[in-house]
Amino acid sequence: MVTLLINAIKRLQVSTLLPIRTYVSVNPQSIPLDNSLVVTKKEWKFPPAYTKPREVWIENLDTLEEKKLGLFELHPSVYATTPRIDIIHRNVVWQRKYRWVSWAHTKTRAEVRGGGKKPWPQKGLGRARHGSIRSPLFRGGGVAHGPRSGKTHFFMLPFHLRIQGLTSTLSTKLAQDDLHIVKDLELPSDEPDFLLDLIESRNWGPSVLIVDDSDLAPRNITAAADAIAHVNIMPVYGLNVYSMLKHDTLILTLSAAAKIEERILQHLHSITTDKEASFKLNQV
Amino acid sequence: MGSRQVIEKSLTLLRSLPRVSLNNIRDNPGSKRTQKRGRAQHGGDKHGCGNKGSGQRQNFMRIGYETGTNPFYLRVPQEHYYKGHHYRRQYPPLSLRILQEMIDTDRVDVTAPIDIASIVKTGLYNFFPDQKHFGINLTDEGADTFEAKINIEVQWASELVIAAIEKKGGVISTAYYDPHSLFLLKNPKIFFESGQAIPRRMIPPQDAIEYYTSAENRGYLADPDQISQARIKLAQKYGYQLPIIENDSDYNILSERKDPRQIFYGLEPGWVINLKDECILKPKDEELLRFYSL
Amino acid sequence: MEWLGSTILKTLWKPTINSVRTRFHADKTRLVRRYGYRELLWRGGLMPRIGARKLPIPEYRPANVWTERRALFGQNDYIDILGTGALHPVKTLYTVPSWIRGVSGEEYHVLLRKKKMWAKTGSPQTRPTKWKELEKRMGYLYRKLNRKTKTGPSPD
Repeated sequence: MVTLLINAIKRLQVSTLLPIRTYVSVNPQSIPLDNSLVVTKKEWKFPPAYTKPREVWIENLDTLEEKKLGLFELHPSVYATTPRIDIIHRNVVWQRKYRWVSWAHTKTRAEVRGGGKKPWPQKGLGRARHGSIRSPLFRGGGVAHGPRSGKTHFFMLPFHLRIQGLTSTLSTKLAQDDLHIVKDLELPSDEPDFLLDLIESRNWGPSVLIVDDSDLAPRNITAAADAIAHVNIMPVYGLNVYSMLKHDTLILTLSAAAKIEERILQHLHSITTDKEASFKLNQV
Repeated sequence: MGSRQVIEKSLTLLRSLPRVSLNNIRDNPGSKRTQKRGRAQHGGDKHGCGNKGSGQRQNFMRIGYETGTNPFYLRVPQEHYYKGHHYRRQYPPLSLRILQEMIDTDRVDVTAPIDIASIVKTGLYNFFPDQKHFGINLTDEGADTFEAKINIEVQWASELVIAAIEKKGGVISTAYYDPHSLFLLKNPKIFFESGQAIPRRMIPPQDAIEYYTSAENRGYLADPDQISQARIKLAQKYGYQLPIIENDSDYNILSERKDPRQIFYGLEPGWVINLKDECILKPKDEELLRFYSL
Repeated sequence: MEWLGSTILKTLWKPTINSVRTRFHADKTRLVRRYGYRELLWRGGLMPRIGARKLPIPEYRPANVWTERRALFGQNDYIDILGTGALHPVKTLYTVPSWIRGVSGEEYHVLLRKKKMWAKTGSPQTRPTKWKELEKRMGYLYRKLNRKTKTGPSPD
């Protein structure tokens, strides 16, 4: 009876610590059996204090079948922080709103043409008193409290919330196996079909965002991605929360991943008083 | 339930959840309060405008107006304590405690002379030259716990502050900067990018000359011999042993001063700083040299 | 005699009287008012409705969510963090006119800024009506904000 109970408990897998996976899921066939793996140990400018760096596979793009070229370390304060969904949401709302200007416009009674004359005398006709045929009560009259053109919804999200938005989204993407690191963006052909087959065979989401460190991506991948609407290439400085969420999978090159890490760590470890100050129009 | 490994737990949880995307994120519940309007029988009666009077009729009187009676702000006799305040020089305070904090947190480099440029760079002190701010007033809060040995240049300092710094073997001097020089010191990058030559620092205005030439205030225009005398006098007054800075290993740092016409340490008036090519252009023309040497 | 004569007539000739009563609405002839006017209310009774008045179901035309503008929405919004730091994201809002880029405020504030920036252009001469209406609206808003609205607590 006792052994039965113990077995039942074992099957429940009750444990105080959840099993922690510090790397993305692996297809065992793609790992080379010989010792050709490159394991990159990084020289951190700001080494992780309490948590271990995340290790991710370096993948390739030049063949359809997946090859693991090595292991790469990612800083946990950028790629494995608390995935704050509410902060991600606030970032997305900010991105939508800060550029949004509503151009809806209505004319007031002062702007509608005509209506200067009193339509009929104040008294003696048994009709309601009116002073203008362009009053909001009249057909064809002006609009009271209507939308006025050039209504902005601009605001700046606090600096560190925007940094947290980036780190939360990157962490979420990595935790959900939607972030992949590739060595470079060299493709053997510029056929869009090859890129589509590659995405299909790797089980990447239909839409893919590719981020490179440089402004100019290699010709083959540019030509291939140009023909596919849901595969897009961005430089590091163009990366943002909205695009990461809109695309299913995020592909970073080695240098892009390092650059993102370096930029965010720099801000996390420096004095940002001037950046935290409230936005002023004359500052830009 | 403890809060151990919250990040790892939440990231592990995310692995088994649907992909986070634009259509399944939301803010924390209750984080937004929408403004509500009164409803039902008496909810919208007066729309929050109260009963009768100017509030309801929305003809608000100007502040202080008392419907014709002699208003309070004119009834009481006035004493102009602050008359002409907008012409006076202001020195936003910085306490010794905060200065010590800057040094302890490595925001200020004590192996080089400290001036207002390095204080502003910490991000813990701010001032606005266009609002009649003429620099730092170093105040004596935290004088008892001040421990650093520094060479500092401020714009205003009290006797106790001078004593607190000199007791630890440091050096303090007070120096005047005109508003334009302070703009340069506050944000040198913008000035250097404009490609202009560094100007000369102006001499103090008439009413400030007395302060900056007196040895008691460690003015930058005072006679060095008198300053040495004043240091000894102050040590006797406050009863501490004055460290001899000539024998100090950091004598080079402690003895460094700016020229009265100089704005930045190491950069002379007339020089142009080229940030793009990372080089300094110095004037060679006789007339320019004569102008900037004055 | 007269009485006798009428009595005889009544007994000999009896006209048949049918009392006509219009009890039902359906029996009444409707008075046609406003002939030629198209009645907007449906008076053909209850359901089912006649096919001629059925509204067509609009064709479903989903928007292409992967146009270039939508696919790259939000690019460069974090350029001050991920870039060199020299550029603020507000400066990259090229599609927004400069007089309203990065402005958050009341209609009056926006108009003040617009007027200030447009005054130097040819706008007052080339579009005089637009300019006049802008000034008129600003005058109205100035009076409304300063004389008819309670000023909030001072920011300090």
